[in-house]
Amino acid sequence: MLALVVAHLVVAALLPLVSRRSRRAAFGVAAVLPAATLVWGLANLPAVLGPGPAPSETHVWASALHLEFGFRLDALGVVMIVLVGGLGALILAYSAWYFGKDSRDAPRNSALLLAFAGAMLGLVLADDLLTLYLFWELTSIASFLLVGQGGLHRANRRAAVQALLVTVMGGLAMLLGIVIVGESAGTYRISEIVAAAQQGAGPAGGLAATGIVLILIGALTKSAQFPFHPWLPGAMAAPTPVSAYLHAASMVKAGVVLVGRLSPAFADRSYWWVPIAVLGLVTMLVGGWRALHETDLKRLLAFGTVSQLGFLMVLFGSGDRIGEIAALTMLLAHGLFKAPLFMVVGIVDKVTGTREVGALSGLGRRLPGLAAAATLAAASMAGIPFLLGFLGKEAAFEAFVHDGDWVLALGLLLGSIFTVAYSARFLWGAFATKAGVEATEPRPVVPGLSVPTWIAAFTGLVLGCVPPLTDALARNYAAAYPAEDAVAADYHLALWHGLSLPLLFSAVALIVGATLHLQRARVTGLHTALRHPLSAQRGYEVTVGGIERFAVWVTGRIQAGSLPVYLGVLLLTVLVLPGLALVFGGTLPATVPGYGSLMQLPLGLVIVACAAALTRVRRRFTAVLLVGAIGYAIGGLFVVDGGPDLALAQFLVETLTMVAFVFVLRRLPAHFDAGPRVGRGIQLRKAALATVAGVFVAVAAVVLSGARQEPPAVSGEFVARAPEAGADNVIAAILVDFRALDTVGEITVLLIAAAGTASLVLATRHDKKGKSGRVESGGGTPEHEEEIAG
Amino acid sequence: MTPLTPPPIDYAAVAPLLIVLGAACVSVLVEAFLPRHQRWPAQVALSVVAIVVAGVTLGVYAGDAPAQGVITLGSTMAVDMPTLFLWGTLLVLGFGSLLLIADRSVEPGGAFVASALERASAGAAPGSTTGPSGVDPEHVDRSYGAPGDAPTMQTEVFPFTLFALGGMMAFVAANDLLTMFVALEVLSLPLYLMCGLARRRRLLSQEAAVKYFLLGAFASAFFLYGVALLYGYAGSVRLSAIAEAAVGTDRSDALLFGGLALLIVGLLFKGSVGPFHTWTPDVYQGAPTPATAFMAACTKVAAFGAIARVLYVAFGSTRWEWRGVLWAVAIASMVIGAVLGLTQTDLKRMIAYSSIAHAGFLLLGTMAITQAGTSGTLFYLLAYGFTTIAVFGIISLVRTADGEATHLSQWAGLAKRSPLLAGVMTFLLLALAGIPLTSGFTAKFAVFSAALSDGMAPLVVVALVASAIAAFFYLRVVVLMYFSETPADGPTVSVPGAFTTVAITLGVVVTLLLGVAPTLVLDWAGAGGFTG
Repeated sequence: MLALVVAHLVVAALLPLVSRRSRRAAFGVAAVLPAATLVWGLANLPAVLGPGPAPSETHVWASALHLEFGFRLDALGVVMIVLVGGLGALILAYSAWYFGKDSRDAPRNSALLLAFAGAMLGLVLADDLLTLYLFWELTSIASFLLVGQGGLHRANRRAAVQALLVTVMGGLAMLLGIVIVGESAGTYRISEIVAAAQQGAGPAGGLAATGIVLILIGALTKSAQFPFHPWLPGAMAAPTPVSAYLHAASMVKAGVVLVGRLSPAFADRSYWWVPIAVLGLVTMLVGGWRALHETDLKRLLAFGTVSQLGFLMVLFGSGDRIGEIAALTMLLAHGLFKAPLFMVVGIVDKVTGTREVGALSGLGRRLPGLAAAATLAAASMAGIPFLLGFLGKEAAFEAFVHDGDWVLALGLLLGSIFTVAYSARFLWGAFATKAGVEATEPRPVVPGLSVPTWIAAFTGLVLGCVPPLTDALARNYAAAYPAEDAVAADYHLALWHGLSLPLLFSAVALIVGATLHLQRARVTGLHTALRHPLSAQRGYEVTVGGIERFAVWVTGRIQAGSLPVYLGVLLLTVLVLPGLALVFGGTLPATVPGYGSLMQLPLGLVIVACAAALTRVRRRFTAVLLVGAIGYAIGGLFVVDGGPDLALAQFLVETLTMVAFVFVLRRLPAHFDAGPRVGRGIQLRKAALATVAGVFVAVAAVVLSGARQEPPAVSGEFVARAPEAGADNVIAAILVDFRALDTVGEITVLLIAAAGTASLVLATRHDKKGKSGRVESGGGTPEHEEEIAG
Repeated sequence: MTPLTPPPIDYAAVAPLLIVLGAACVSVLVEAFLPRHQRWPAQVALSVVAIVVAGVTLGVYAGDAPAQGVITLGSTMAVDMPTLFLWGTLLVLGFGSLLLIADRSVEPGGAFVASALERASAGAAPGSTTGPSGVDPEHVDRSYGAPGDAPTMQTEVFPFTLFALGGMMAFVAANDLLTMFVALEVLSLPLYLMCGLARRRRLLSQEAAVKYFLLGAFASAFFLYGVALLYGYAGSVRLSAIAEAAVGTDRSDALLFGGLALLIVGLLFKGSVGPFHTWTPDVYQGAPTPATAFMAACTKVAAFGAIARVLYVAFGSTRWEWRGVLWAVAIASMVIGAVLGLTQTDLKRMIAYSSIAHAGFLLLGTMAITQAGTSGTLFYLLAYGFTTIAVFGIISLVRTADGEATHLSQWAGLAKRSPLLAGVMTFLLLALAGIPLTSGFTAKFAVFSAALSDGMAPLVVVALVASAIAAFFYLRVVVLMYFSETPADGPTVSVPGAFTTVAITLGVVVTLLLGVAPTLVLDWAGAGGFTG
């Protein structure tokens, strides 16, 4: 199975070579693989329906992360292969004529459609949640590229980005859910998770529930369920074959399929079936209602698809034997009627140049063959007997009526009424002769476009007349669900179940739906009256726009490019994190000595005064002097505290840096850049932050040194061992004996620094002797030196 | 008096480090004594040979290294499995960056500034503001290359690179905090200088260098302060000694956690984790692109290698106490990186924000004190490093007459002009976004699943949301390249020289390989844990 998927991707990569010769042949070549997939799927039918385990295979991907490719072909998989492979081949053939010989879009579309078919095949065959996720994202990307097309039109770009954002966000939520569920179940194998759950050993607990809901979110976004649905009508900006394939037959079914795969495990959990039932029903009604008012035939079908996806969602989430039989039947039926309907729209668009309901008239008489195919498909959608859609709808009504689930049953009835109404509206809009509209003059339809349409529509009729074919698959799939009684266990798809409530429901749907269509003027009036500003599309726009605005605001605030602000952020974080811990967790030592010796006071004052003065200084030279003064005062503190060795090093380093500074300053302007004037408030804020940070460091030093419980062991040791080193003075012993190597190192560093300073002196002299213009920045001139020295 | 016995040194284990640092010293001598026109070839040859030899030595040693690792140089260096992996990562990433740095064909003469003398001799060279021309050319030591060519870059950048690389290698292997501090300075100081060396847009580059230096100095000060506090607590700067002191004592924890907080500020700063990230966008933008690539890839490896070691070895036993704070930091980093990245109009700044977001993801892995966390982090670093180097390599190729065209609007419609470049960039951006079949996905998966199994589910949620937002701005570049009209005065795509081509190809191939067949590298990354 992996080989089949990879073959799709490889051929897709090579397809541009073919389209360089002939664009039409490229679609022909592309159609071969999906057709072969269909044949392969049907050839495996006995194995799938047989008593043995379903055909499956596993390939190790990354063993350390427990990543593997797992595939399995079951009844649901076969149905999806009919849609992905069978319809894929038909639509690719149709595309060959749709795009025309010289279309510049053809090479891209042929390759992308085939690559998409491969990804979709991987998705429907995946038995491993992570494998499924991988192909899930690949289909999102393929859809993005196919909707975006050449990016020439704004509508395409916006729709592509919206579709991608919604489905990828959902996908990421799903990834998180997958990881949670996989970790808590101990396996990523869908079949194993289902088997464990059916024996009562499925993932349990709050975390697992979160994971399951997250997976559900992924499924809902991909299948355009309320409130995520607006991306699907938007995606109709894509060329019609793309819409027919991705946004009717296959990709949007991914969410439904995922629900269908996991429902055997989770259907009895309320956080699984309640959102599915509620959102699915709302989606069905909202989509159906919106479809009644669209004047663009393609958007009408798109809302119809939204509505049908809601219907499928409810069925797959029902967890009921009959409901699941209905689900699988409707899944197949929807692909087989929606794809030809889209193809019809494409043909109408092609031969008349419009797909507006108001501009088309009398097309039925001009193109009777096309009208017949469209009627066949629309009738299946409406649920008219002898068509596959009827079988599915009967089973669906039976499922909920049999359970006494009246809310859902009546909800579905209302949805079906809408479906009948917009099916009628579609036929009327495309083919009817309308009063006051000039009859449309179509160009002839080439067989390359009409034959695939006919094949797809006719398959629905054949399967509708011969229920056992679908029945075997549907019952096989539904066997995973418990049958609550004998009626459910014995349910078969059939054209005639006797006079029963579901049949009445079907009749009511047809009659009321037809009435609704005849009263379309009033319905439109009601729709206009109900118009309200809140819509899901608006919600999407507000969210995306809001994130952008928020980002701009934050960037303007904290990424201003100003060093003081950056430093402020750094200091603030240090103040907040350890600072708060210090305030709440730290305890002041019992006795805080004010000072050790009197000399500390003036030294401390010098340091504080110099530091404060530094912030106000305008001249560079003064600033250097003040920094030096702070250094010397700290050295003084070392002396007072009995660390003359440290003090010595400090003095030397200070002196050297001062000298180096002076030489550098010769090349710099005397004053600091004044820079733009800053407001008083900002200055105060800076001063406050600096003060608080300084106080924090000081307090931390006191508190933390108080937290030390053991006296420093090393000092005593030094004193005790000094005589051993043959010295009277501890300091001398430390400097030349205990830490002799350190001393050598320090001396070396000092020497190198002194050498550097000396070389600076020499370099400056060299500059003076050389041509004065050579140094780019600053002076080196006598006037400049005077200015520095003051 | 007992004679002093020098600590034993396991030369085989530390050989790669010694080779790199030794080569850095030789490189300084080359700079001092070779005539100017011989320096570039000599420096390139020396650096490449040093890194390759160090890599081979490392490979030979790693072949039969003890699984528990060794502690050598008087317990200042721990050469364990993560160290070996990180060294290998640093060496290969350093090699890639070095190739970008050495390239002189994309930007004539190299991306780094030439010396003032040479600029003057070449006349009014681009970027020099007031360089007076008319200096007698006979008195100037003319550099390598024909007269009339752009002057070649200053070759000091090679010793800088080698020193920084050596510092990074010591940083990730440091077994005590003082060694770590020394290594931190050794790696930082050359980086500060390298930032200021851009040939074009000198002011931006110098400003970046000053900002980086000043903020970096602050961060180092915090680090040092933290070390002092931890020494006060444990009486030792050895990581394992701190861990021992933290277990089963009634000592006040104020010193321990105060020390950790300050220490980690210094480390997080180097890893450009938000909110210590403020320098990152400016520095990434201002620094010469090859130096940015080096910083983005290698500094990240070094910083997170060190963070992982400190948290794992010294603070593993007390993780329940400090984890809350790091949660906040990780969330801040991911959110800042993802949200602020949305508004960027400059590619280099955008990648900078992306690196901040990635730093947040990486922090998830380092916080999980488990074997899976360590190996996930190591793998992530390798994957991210290669992708980043390739991205910066690509950025350096898109140019106008004024140098690199990093403004997003200049990338509009690039796919029509150079489909190959746009394709490669798209692939790399998808990898940064973490789309399956790229290394980005495998890496994120490894880190997130480790974090999840160590009880950090809420953080993983935030991480995924941040990934989703970040994916938006990567995709915006893709959309721009493919779906927009080319501006009339758009940039041209230079044909890269051999060096840049190799660096980009290496990055792309590794990104793909780690996405498709990550097993081998994952096994290496998980071969052993930290030794203390």
